[in-house]
Amino acid sequence: MIWVTWRQHRAQAITCLALFCALAVIAIPYGIAMRTTFSNDGLPACLARSGGAGCPAAITSFVDEFGHGAGMLLNLPLIAAPGFLGIVVGAPLLGRELERGTWRMAWTQTVPRTRWLITKLGLVTGGLVLFGAAVTAVMTWYHGPLDRVTSRLQPVPSNAEGLTFTASLLCSFGLAVLAGLLLRNTIGAMVAGYIAWEIPSTVLVLLNGPIHFPPPATTRIPCRAGCPGAGIGSVPPVTGHLGDFVLGVTRSGGELVVSYLPASRFWTLQLIGGGLYLAIAAATLGTAIWLLHQRTT
Amino acid sequence: MTGDDGVAALRADRLGKRYGRMWALRDCTFSVPAGSVVGLVGPNGAGKTTLLSLTVGLLAATEGEIAVFGQRSRAYTADTLARVSYLAQDHPLYSGFTVADMLHLGRSMNPRWDQALARTRLDRLGIPLERKIKTLSGGQQAQISLTMALAKRAPLLALDEPVASLDPIARLEFMRDVMAASADTGLTVIIASHVISELERLCDWLLLLTAGRLQLAGPVDDLVAAHQVLTVPRATADAELPGTVISRTDSDRHSTVLTAADLGQLASGLRPGWQAEAVSFEQLLIAYLQRPTTALPASEPPDDPARPGGRARSARTGVTS
Repeated sequence: MIWVTWRQHRAQAITCLALFCALAVIAIPYGIAMRTTFSNDGLPACLARSGGAGCPAAITSFVDEFGHGAGMLLNLPLIAAPGFLGIVVGAPLLGRELERGTWRMAWTQTVPRTRWLITKLGLVTGGLVLFGAAVTAVMTWYHGPLDRVTSRLQPVPSNAEGLTFTASLLCSFGLAVLAGLLLRNTIGAMVAGYIAWEIPSTVLVLLNGPIHFPPPATTRIPCRAGCPGAGIGSVPPVTGHLGDFVLGVTRSGGELVVSYLPASRFWTLQLIGGGLYLAIAAATLGTAIWLLHQRTT
Repeated sequence: MTGDDGVAALRADRLGKRYGRMWALRDCTFSVPAGSVVGLVGPNGAGKTTLLSLTVGLLAATEGEIAVFGQRSRAYTADTLARVSYLAQDHPLYSGFTVADMLHLGRSMNPRWDQALARTRLDRLGIPLERKIKTLSGGQQAQISLTMALAKRAPLLALDEPVASLDPIARLEFMRDVMAASADTGLTVIIASHVISELERLCDWLLLLTAGRLQLAGPVDDLVAAHQVLTVPRATADAELPGTVISRTDSDRHSTVLTAADLGQLASGLRPGWQAEAVSFEQLLIAYLQRPTTALPASEPPDDPARPGGRARSARTGVTS
């Protein structure tokens, strides 16, 4: 069965490897350039000395150079990639067997179909986790210098760091596997799987934007010298801590009322997003196994 | 009906399968001795594929049971799967695999796989191992499927319309190979087919299904001996004829009647002027296939097969006959 799974998913595995290599070929030189500039600008010393408070101009110039435009282009494909790759791998797993009638051959060898499915799902899930972890590792390394001077809680770096990328990949995979079993059609399963994957993805975008869960922290900062220049985009943030993601600043008497996501929330938010995706992945794969096991017709 | 001391190769006991409220197969009881080559005949939708699927463990029975060499078939269990080699209709294979890949699949999914047998057979057939399945002809693909089924080394080989998509030469070669395998290894074979001439040459046992009911089951020679073709004056009523009338064709003066009557019944029931002839295999099959099907018992009225629900259900399960 291990060989059969490998043979049936070989092309997908090679494609994923090629995509990973392409990503690494772009990210590594650019990441090295970013690091060179980071130390040439004296940022490591400044961060160590003053937590960034002493060199706002250097930070701003670094973020302007690498945090926008070309540097962030690499992140754009990664927003849709987990949904797309998951359905490409998941939809044919059952969908094509049922569509082409090869299930009659596959399930009348000596391996019972439930074991057949569990083995395949286990191995393919393992492959996807490896791929997701590798992409996450490269992107986290790539973002490294930026993550030291900006917030990791913004939607764009957080989609490729922590759990999100891998969990999202598994979610669309699970949805497409189940859709393949129900629709008995590869293309239909891809479309249905992708649309279904957009639901948790949209929920998570909303949780990152208009609605915040858990609710943002609030802090009051006494104004000194009339609070000049204190706003959302100030460097370092008005909270005084570089990793914090400031959502809103209002003046109230002699104080600034700051609504923000503390940098320490990174893993909490990753666990919420990743947890939602992983719960859907587990539920869909479990349902597919159960349905196939139960089916007697 | 086994006609054999040993355990029956295939034994069904009141076997039934229902899809929703529609019975695809009902009250099917028979017992086939080991080493037989069984022809499974019936119109489309008669339940042939259902019966084969129940045998190989692709389906679970709704009632009754079917046993292969004394072991009850249970859907999707390794021991049921190990006892039967199955060649599905249209011999499905992975089109992107090479021939060698298909053999590798067979080896990794079957503990008793006989790689030497597979290699020797394909070599003899001149099918190159490095070719992709999709580049091979239908006949070659059918031969690869048969090779895989034989190399699985199961004591029962179930073939569902194996030659339906093949040209006449490929049909002959395929069937010759099935017969050779049966003769060489004592393999029991069950073949669902519409090709009566093929069945006549190959089968020594017959199962005939119409509308989910078993109409005939037994050794071909016994079945042929138990039926007669009578030519009688047209005025003769069915009740006057010996045995059970299966089919009757009336011409101007005479009627040709196929009747289920053994020689004893015939000897006592034959009137002067009536002519009796032995029935041919083809006549026998055609008579039963054309016979109006007796309605299923009133307790479980069958649904109209044309009902959208019923049709969708059977289409979803891929059962075509």
